[in-house]
Formats: sequence, structure tokens, C-alpha cells
Amino acid sequence: MSDQTPAAGELIYTRVFTAPRELVFRCLTEPEHLTHFWGPAGTSTPLDGIKVDPRPGGVFETVMVNDADGSRYTMRARYTEIVTPERIAWTDRDSGMTTTSTLTDLGGGRTEVQIHQAGVPGAMLLPEAQAGFRTSLDRFAAYLGTLSAEGDQA
Amino acid sequence: MTVAVTEGRLDATFTALADPTRRAIVARLARGDATVNELAAPFAMSLPGISKHLKVLERCGLISRTRQAQFRPCHLEAGLLDEAVSWIEQNRRIWADRFDRLDQHLRDIQQPPESKGRAR
Repeated sequence: MSDQTPAAGELIYTRVFTAPRELVFRCLTEPEHLTHFWGPAGTSTPLDGIKVDPRPGGVFETVMVNDADGSRYTMRARYTEIVTPERIAWTDRDSGMTTTSTLTDLGGGRTEVQIHQAGVPGAMLLPEAQAGFRTSLDRFAAYLGTLSAEGDQA
Repeated sequence: MTVAVTEGRLDATFTALADPTRRAIVARLARGDATVNELAAPFAMSLPGISKHLKVLERCGLISRTRQAQFRPCHLEAGLLDEAVSWIEQNRRIWADRFDRLDQHLRDIQQPPESKGRAR
């Protein structure tokens, strides 16, 4: 993948891990690993709630439990692509959003993981999201201003 | 999590904002209320053309118009924008947290056995 600039309606997140690519791939596809890190801070992802069938059309489900109040959020998806150990893609059943994880061996036991999300609700999710964009309207307005200045108003 | 609940509304918001003219209108209204004439000024576009864009923004709830006879200034409903922006921010945070925890997990499982004993 050559693009670092997401198109409209897409989000990209990248991180480099100090681990061989095969191991990172296993972490992203095996419930015994997923249970350790899948839920974001403040949640847990119990092993018995994880379903992984890593082949095109196979299910990928996780239940994230909120540590504070015990509320549960189930993510239901189906894999659309599995290329060991370099690519994993799934489509979320509810939102239709597709998430593609690309693993690149950087050498020296380091692996880059790029998460590319397409079909994000609507058509305006742009790179400012990755920069830690805040809810300030002023900044949003400034950003929109930049956009309009670039776009031709035909 | 409220992600799924608000998604339908967000969809309309993002779709409305996919158009550069409508984004420019929203950017202008973020600085304060404005009338249709004021909004139309920077564009080489007829008033009916601008009105059509305003209707799209009004329908999805991004802007509202007061009933002051001939002025009818347009007002930006910032709450909806905040909702859209916080969806993006929430999604970003989920992946940032997930990556942090994966990083820690990879450290844990790659630790040599003797130092693992020490950590416990």
C-alpha cells in the first residue's frame, strides 16, 4: 500500500511494534492473545466472548465489557481477507465499515501495523482525526476553511 | 457505547458535509449567524442555489433558521458537529488504547523466562 493520505470517508492508524511479524499476526487473529489487548482502556474482552474463524466469510466477534458498570458491547464482523502473516480484513455487520490491517516486516524484529478503515459513516472523515482532533468548533471551522479554499466551487 | 445509536444521524451529517460549498457555509456560520445574502456573497452562485444547500444543512439539523421575516439568519447547531467530531475522536482513541495494550502484551510474551519470574 502506497497511500498515507486517506481518501474521504477513510481513517488510517499506524503503529510500530517490537516483535516479529508472525507473532503480531497471531496476536491479531488468536483469541488467547486478543483477550489481552482488544478492549480499549477501561474495558475487558473475555476469552469466551471471542469468536475467530480466520478465513474469508468467517466470523470475527468480540464482546467488550465496560470495567466500570459491566455493560457489554458486541462487535460482529466477517473476515473478507486473510493473508498470513501480512493482511487481515473484516467488515463490521452493523456499520458496514471495513477494517484492513496490514503488517509490514521492518526488519530487526520490528513490525509496522497499519489499520485502514473504509466506509466510515458518511464521507468526511479526514486526516485530522489521526492528529488528535478536538471538539473545538473554532479549529473545526479553520479546518473547514482550509478545505473550502482547496476545493473548487463549481 | 453509543457509537451504533448515533450512526444514522452522523451519516446524514457527514453526507451533508461532503460538499465543499456546504462546508464553506458551515465554516462561515461557526464564526456567527448570517443571512442568506451574507452567506451567498463569497460564492459565484445564485440565491436559490445557496438556498438549496441551506435546505440540505437544515434537514440534517446542522443549521437552524429563525423566523425573523426578511432576515432569517442561519444558525449553526454546534451540538451535531461535536457529535460527529467525537465519533472520530472515540474511534481514534479505541485504536490508540488497543495498540498500547498490544504493545504491552507483546512485551509480556517475549520476556525471557528469568525476568518474568522477577516481575511476579
